Amino acid sequence: MRTTAPVIAAFVTGLAMTVAFFLNEKTPFVGEISNQLLDWLIIIGGFTLLLGVVSILRVSWQSVERRKEGWIYKVALIVSLLAMAIPISRSPLFGRFEGSIYDWLFMNLQAPMMATMFATLAFYIASAAYRAFRARTPEATLLLLTAILVMFWRVPIGEAILNQLPGDFPYFINKFVMNGANTAVQRGIIIGAALGAAAMSLRIILGIERTYMGKG
Amino acid sequence: MQIKHKSTIGKLPAGLFVLFLFLSESVYAQEVNSVFRDDRINALITMVLFSAAVLLFTRWARQGKPLFLRKIAGLDAVEEAVGRATEMGRPVLFIPGIDDLDQIETIAGISILGRVAQITARYETPLMVPVRHPLVLAAGQEVVQQAYIYVGKGDAYDKDTVRYVAGEQFAFAATVNGYMMRERPATNIYMGAFFAESLLLAETGNAAGSIQIAGTGRPEQLPFFVAACDYTLMGEELFAASAYLSHEPVMMGGLKGQDLMKVLIVILILLGVLLTTFTTDIGVVFKSWFKAV
Amino acid sequence: MGFWERFENMDRRWVYLMVGITVLIPFIIPMKFPVSVSPEARSFFNAVDSLPDSSVVMLVFDYYPSTIAECEPMALAGARHLFKKHCKIITLSNIPYGGPSMAESVTREVAAEFGKEYGQDFVNLGYKYGYVSVLKGMGVSIESIFPTDNRGTPLSELPLMNYVKNYEQVKFIFEVADNATADFWISIVNAGYGVPMGVGCTAVMAPKFYAFVGAGQIVGLLGGMKGAAEYEILLERPGTAFRGMDIQSLVHFLIIGLVLIGNIGYFVTKKRKRISGV
Repeated sequence: MRTTAPVIAAFVTGLAMTVAFFLNEKTPFVGEISNQLLDWLIIIGGFTLLLGVVSILRVSWQSVERRKEGWIYKVALIVSLLAMAIPISRSPLFGRFEGSIYDWLFMNLQAPMMATMFATLAFYIASAAYRAFRARTPEATLLLLTAILVMFWRVPIGEAILNQLPGDFPYFINKFVMNGANTAVQRGIIIGAALGAAAMSLRIILGIERTYMGKG
Repeated sequence: MQIKHKSTIGKLPAGLFVLFLFLSESVYAQEVNSVFRDDRINALITMVLFSAAVLLFTRWARQGKPLFLRKIAGLDAVEEAVGRATEMGRPVLFIPGIDDLDQIETIAGISILGRVAQITARYETPLMVPVRHPLVLAAGQEVVQQAYIYVGKGDAYDKDTVRYVAGEQFAFAATVNGYMMRERPATNIYMGAFFAESLLLAETGNAAGSIQIAGTGRPEQLPFFVAACDYTLMGEELFAASAYLSHEPVMMGGLKGQDLMKVLIVILILLGVLLTTFTTDIGVVFKSWFKAV
Repeated sequence: MGFWERFENMDRRWVYLMVGITVLIPFIIPMKFPVSVSPEARSFFNAVDSLPDSSVVMLVFDYYPSTIAECEPMALAGARHLFKKHCKIITLSNIPYGGPSMAESVTREVAAEFGKEYGQDFVNLGYKYGYVSVLKGMGVSIESIFPTDNRGTPLSELPLMNYVKNYEQVKFIFEVADNATADFWISIVNAGYGVPMGVGCTAVMAPKFYAFVGAGQIVGLLGGMKGAAEYEILLERPGTAFRGMDIQSLVHFLIIGLVLIGNIGYFVTKKRKRISGV
């Protein structure tokens, strides 16, 4: 039963959603099942957030209790988590809108931290490009030259420099590199990934693939 | 691991499909003008052809016909990479993507996690699986526990192997980066959906001296993984991983069906290009058959 | 170890330092490089410009605060363009971390410039979990997914939402995204309901969306800060994106320089090893 019930659930819901895709949304019975399942997904998602909070509190508290290395940071984590759980009402101070403690903490602490982490990508890209872009083979050389041209093209002064060269380089890059080769490759990968995803979905719906449950 | 299959695969879906249609159409038919969406016939034909191809090859595989799969270097390297971690006495880090469980890439990642967990359980190598979503946490814990039980090492399973670290993308990346720099895992495996943090993770792993195997269906993240990782699985190779690692004929049959569909798409693209270039009316009609659903 | 060998094996922290210094230069010496407009950005702008006045448009804030530098200028420029054309804006977000807050701050800032009134000219629906369900559900009824707006006001009390029930009344979708939700807007809303849309995204994601532009599924594309700067130029109101192009230009040149010098070092080292028989 532990194995069979999830497989049956996956099969029935997968089939219902597939059938609903080909029928009019306002179709009674099937349309309603499909809308109900979508609503259930929203509700279940809300409850699963609790699961994550419990897990992180449990692991962090264990580290604090046992005074593991870096336990003080776990204390900071727990305090931050509880602080961001403040919004409990619609009040200006203890709610979640502009002017509340939650909003202040989010806009002045969390948002800048998130932006900072994203900004470190610039440094990582520079070091990755410096390390990876080597003309070791003809293909790598082509990649290197294309990358340099596109990097020039994407910035105003670079485009101005390209415009000084004979031939319309910016047009060439836009038409043949971005809208030509790049689009072809992106489409190929997207189609391949989509087919792979569809095949995997079909295997899951039919119960052939059960590895995501730990079975098979 | 053997999968038992009954021969209902063909009959039950067709029967239920007819039942759904019958219930929809007969009970309240007066209220709806048209039940079936005519504008999605092309999608229906594609789906039927695709399903038939996958099921046909699955059936052939079960009958014992040999099926060829090309080598995927990244997947062949998984066992070797875990062995490296065992020899060095350092852990293996596995990230099943940062998207939620309703995404097929995450399910693919979790499936691969099960295989990797079997290997780490067998070699008694520490495994760390940080996740970003609670549902993925639940699925990951189940999968890893089952893997340990399967190889007879159920007692060695640690519930905190799979842990929820943060819901926010960069908080997750920061936590994992910190773990990588402190614990220096010998092997990092990234399998699933990744976004902007892919380069943060891969570069940090590179700096920590880990061997890295990545796989994602997101074309925009592939360049970062290719630049920073030792092996990269591109697009559909991620979805093929579960079948490839298990070597089960039934699952490999699905891959062959997928390939047949790809061949069909290539033929249609070539046909479309020729018809649109050298004809007018036929080309326009041909194009209209593939109007977006 | 010779100079080239040392350069090739340079600690990555020197690269980080060089990037950091390069980023600071335009703050000291502003350069104001001229920005040209790509066909994709122009097409996006023209599509919005050709909307009838008072059209209902969904301005979607599907980006995290981490990409605020790239995406917020697009959202601001988009909101300004739409209000300039007296369009009615419905904002929503599929991002729980700050999406509704950013929607609130951007729309209120721009609404104050144009004298627009909340509830009448723009509404912020907020966030709801499960973007696939949300996008599909809004095709049937927006109110079934968002019974209240971001501040808890029932939609029935907002004049704008009295006549906007689902996608049929929406004339355009201005999607600003830094993640995969843009794909779902295209595959579910544009493909399923035929609502025209344009996408503004981070520079990393932009190459993927050229395929959708080519297929006609999106009318235009704003790629990263450059795309935002292009839209600001077309709107004749240069802002933070335009100013950011100085920094982007210099850092690109730095990376190109490092790559070229690194390759010179690679070939010199390779030649030396061949000569010495290693």
